[in-house]
Amino acid sequence: MSQALTIARHRLPHSAAPAWESFGDALRAEWTKMRTMPGTAWILAGICALTVAVSAGTDAATKCTIGGACAADTTRLTLTGIEVGQALVAVLAVLAITGEYSTGMIRTTFAAMPRRSVVLAAKASVLTCLVLPAAVVAVAGSLAAGWLILPGNGFTAVRGFALVSLAHGPTVRAAVGSVLYLALIGLLSLAIATMVRDSAVATGSVLGLLYVAPIASLLLAGQPVWQRRVQRYAPVNSGLTIEDTTGLRHLPIGPWGGLGVLAIWAAASLLTAALALRLRDA
Amino acid sequence: MEATIEVTGLRKRFGSALALDGMSFTVQPGQVTGFVGPNGAGKSTTMRVILGLDAPDSGHALVSGQPYLKLRHPLSHIGALLDAAALQPGRTARNHLLWLAHSQGLGWRRVDEVIDQAGLSSVARRKAGGFSLGMRQRLGIAAAMLGDPPVVMLDEPFNGMDPEGIAWMREFLRSLAAQGRAVLVSSHLMGELEDTADHLVVAGRGKVIADAAVADLIAAASGDRVTLRTSARAEAMTVLTHAGATVAATDRDTLTISGLTPERTVALLTEAGVRFAEVSAHRASLEAAYMDLTRDAVEFRAQPAGTAQEAVR
Amino acid sequence: MTAGTIAPYRSPEKPAKDRFSQLMHAEWTKFRTVRGWLIAMFLAVVLIDMVGLLVVRPNVQCGGACLPNVPTGPGGEAVNDSFYFVRQPLAGNGSITVRVTSLTGQTSQTGGNFGPGQQQGGLTPGLVPWAKAGIIIAASTRQGSPYAAMMVTGSHGVRMQYDFTQDIAGLPGAVSAASPRWLRLVRSGDTITGYDSADGTRWATVGSASLAGLPGTVQWGMLATSPLTFKSNFATYAESGGSVSPTLATGVLDHVSLRGGQPGGQWTGVEVGAGGAGYSGHAVGFRQAHGQFTITGSGDIGPVIGGGSNTEYDTSTVALHLLGVLLGLVVMVVIAAMFITLEYRRGLIRTTLAASPRRGRLLAAKALVIGLVTFVFGTAAVAVAVIVGIWVSRDGGQYVLPLSPLTGLRVIAGTGAMLALASVLALSIGAVVRRSVAAVAAVVVAILMPYILGVTGVLPASASEWILRVSPAAGFAIEQSAPQYHQVIGQYAPPDYFPLPPFAGLAVLCGYVAVALGLASWLLHRRDA
Repeated sequence: MSQALTIARHRLPHSAAPAWESFGDALRAEWTKMRTMPGTAWILAGICALTVAVSAGTDAATKCTIGGACAADTTRLTLTGIEVGQALVAVLAVLAITGEYSTGMIRTTFAAMPRRSVVLAAKASVLTCLVLPAAVVAVAGSLAAGWLILPGNGFTAVRGFALVSLAHGPTVRAAVGSVLYLALIGLLSLAIATMVRDSAVATGSVLGLLYVAPIASLLLAGQPVWQRRVQRYAPVNSGLTIEDTTGLRHLPIGPWGGLGVLAIWAAASLLTAALALRLRDA
Repeated sequence: MEATIEVTGLRKRFGSALALDGMSFTVQPGQVTGFVGPNGAGKSTTMRVILGLDAPDSGHALVSGQPYLKLRHPLSHIGALLDAAALQPGRTARNHLLWLAHSQGLGWRRVDEVIDQAGLSSVARRKAGGFSLGMRQRLGIAAAMLGDPPVVMLDEPFNGMDPEGIAWMREFLRSLAAQGRAVLVSSHLMGELEDTADHLVVAGRGKVIADAAVADLIAAASGDRVTLRTSARAEAMTVLTHAGATVAATDRDTLTISGLTPERTVALLTEAGVRFAEVSAHRASLEAAYMDLTRDAVEFRAQPAGTAQEAVR
Repeated sequence: MTAGTIAPYRSPEKPAKDRFSQLMHAEWTKFRTVRGWLIAMFLAVVLIDMVGLLVVRPNVQCGGACLPNVPTGPGGEAVNDSFYFVRQPLAGNGSITVRVTSLTGQTSQTGGNFGPGQQQGGLTPGLVPWAKAGIIIAASTRQGSPYAAMMVTGSHGVRMQYDFTQDIAGLPGAVSAASPRWLRLVRSGDTITGYDSADGTRWATVGSASLAGLPGTVQWGMLATSPLTFKSNFATYAESGGSVSPTLATGVLDHVSLRGGQPGGQWTGVEVGAGGAGYSGHAVGFRQAHGQFTITGSGDIGPVIGGGSNTEYDTSTVALHLLGVLLGLVVMVVIAAMFITLEYRRGLIRTTLAASPRRGRLLAAKALVIGLVTFVFGTAAVAVAVIVGIWVSRDGGQYVLPLSPLTGLRVIAGTGAMLALASVLALSIGAVVRRSVAAVAAVVVAILMPYILGVTGVLPASASEWILRVSPAAGFAIEQSAPQYHQVIGQYAPPDYFPLPPFAGLAVLCGYVAVALGLASWLLHRRDA
């Protein structure tokens, strides 16, 4: 089987349709697959609902009492739900590829579309197209919760807090960045899952990365050099700096720079995954 | 108590699809019982119910006179092969059998015995994930034989086997029956069972259509018919119809005659001077007998309700 | 051929007895014969130890030479022992009585962050809750020596404290000239008894301390001290913790009377643990005039807590070396979930259930096997992380609070049990949802998410505490190696401290596991395989 595929790979390019054309077909195929995968709609709805719910809950629980010194970053506070939302984005990405491996459907896929990198690119595109709208809804809902709840809890402009609103430049940056952050987390997860192939291991790897890395940087307080390195160059830590709107001078890495680091991680992982697909038997 | 499987009035519904509709039969020791029927007739569901995997809505299945869930060390009462692919690819064949043995209080010795019995000695230490379908079937047989059970139940054991494997499997099933075990083998291909089964349970639409010895079934399907090969078809038909027989032309030079014995046919034709090449008692194939029996069930598959049967598997 | 011609088959094998241990043996064989799972268990051990020992390697600029010389009390615990002591020796038994008429305080304006290099700043008035002034009988002026003291405090009334960790409440209310407090300590051998009184005539016993190995000649006298104040930052991801500032307390004592000891002995002032903790400036000292003593001191007599929020040193608890447990937990959760979900993926569950039809027993065997395996591997890994970690820390100049062997055992075995419970939770959820991704995601998010939200300070303190009480992450409480003291204010925050007591936290996790196991068992019985 795999030998036949290898032959196909080496011979077809001369006579086959140009790459962009096969990409269009792959895109449609992957879209249909993703659309008809049981659970996609639920996960997307979950991304929106859980993110907004956790954000709103955090806003409601956080109060700045009169006279109390609260150095809160209101924008960041109201985007707390991203912490949960990203897990569901990762789950969607993992399911998109490992579902095929666990059932053996991947062989059908590669028999139909022998250019494996094109398949991966199509999967990545479809995933991004699904995650982006969900992320927009999730972030918008979280910001709305902050806008409604936080001023009532003492975070008022009079007391020097930036109101969570679209008139506030850094908030807009944080919002747009958070949407991109979720999309990048999806791509990173897809790439890792493609490399790992097993669904359970992939889920563990991705969630471990998402949740343990931030704690690691925190507990590294005794070693400032390493802490700073982790904060600057670990994918999740750097990416989350996009949510910061205060104390920007003290950040280990600038907001866009941080998101850039995450983008580089995602791109590098996708390239590695494409290479792995090429080298391994399906 | 004789070692048997007794299935009584099983009913089970999956959503809107009726998978079992009063399935009842008994498997006797010392013979191979074929369990046949078209896809979706309820064979696999019945087997899962027998093994306590699925709970029937009503009715019950007994193994050695007891419900499966009451059996201690069930593999020493009944060995079953349901799905040869049901194993973890990373484990070697030997280790797969080993954990199963441990669950029955058995050890290495028995594992190696069944490995030999199934002809897997050369591959026992290889990962089962790399096995061909035929090898997996043999591994499944080995697992079924672990407890040295008096009852053996195999679901489609011929699937994916090469001709040599099929011959081995037939011989194996015969030997099990000869030892006095009750053997239940499901299949949807009659040819596979033709020389193996002593008894047939034919299922369709979730119930038993026929439950009879193979010899009886063939006799019934054959009827008292005689096959006549002759180049003088018209003359032969005239003579024989006159004698009161029903004659049907089955081929350019072949007639099938009912109502006359072969001897009488030969006598009549000789008397009338009609020349013929061959007169023989008609013997229906098991396939034909089966097709006769399951025609209803097969037709039913063409109806929309039949699509729901897909869900059963 | 009919049934009558052949006798039904009887196996020559003698039927084996049906025991639960056989089921466990089968499941264990199932586990150990998938090489990837065993490798993953070793990977979990390596992660726990590698992260715990190497990544969290302490500052190596000066190594063990940097290790702060934190005194330890009679019980072996790290202590603060800095106060201004106006003393004289006492040989044999005796009693000391004073009247305290005033306790005032000051706070140093510019504090420092944790760690050395604090700056001294100006002083502003302000009394902290646990500022102390009163009388004390101590074995010696060496830091960490056994003592018993009767003191008035900033806002917790009269207290009798002894041997750093013990605290007994006496008369409530603040002290003032109008409402003075009379304090008395009586030594009789190794036993010291404290009394208090509002008027100097009607005395009440506050408590009695037995100080083992008290020498014949002890130091007794008056003290004043005031602990560091801790101000928590409203932390974000990037910054956590807070800042500490030194404070001072000034006590005014009179009517000093001694029974026993050397009559006419001279009072001398000494700054116990000078420069060790807190403020060391000109303000510290004592004045004696007309039988009235005005004593100003800074520091604390009490236990040091982890996280360094009540000491100027960077102290941590052994939780520092348990960071890798988070990664090990993810690996174990993945394996535990696969242990059941892979049976469903390929239909192996039917073979399993055909061999072991009693489903509740099967689930129990599976849970026990995965629980025992993860417990053994987890405990071994944590033991190495803790034991070697303490050594590595000391070698690297990172101060880790000493812990008793019993506490160490509880942390090691308890963390192993926590990993085992998390694994059984994953197995149960796996049996419920029958999908690897959902099971792993649910358990990892349920355990790590609350931990993150609780630890990183994204949430306000009350919400963090609440979530660490009610979520499965409560189980991390078993990692807490240093007790919380109500008489010491500081940052009692993860990863060093948890809102629930260790075993209560583990019990919460147990509750989740029990519910999940029950649900799994019910569904396993109810559903067709």
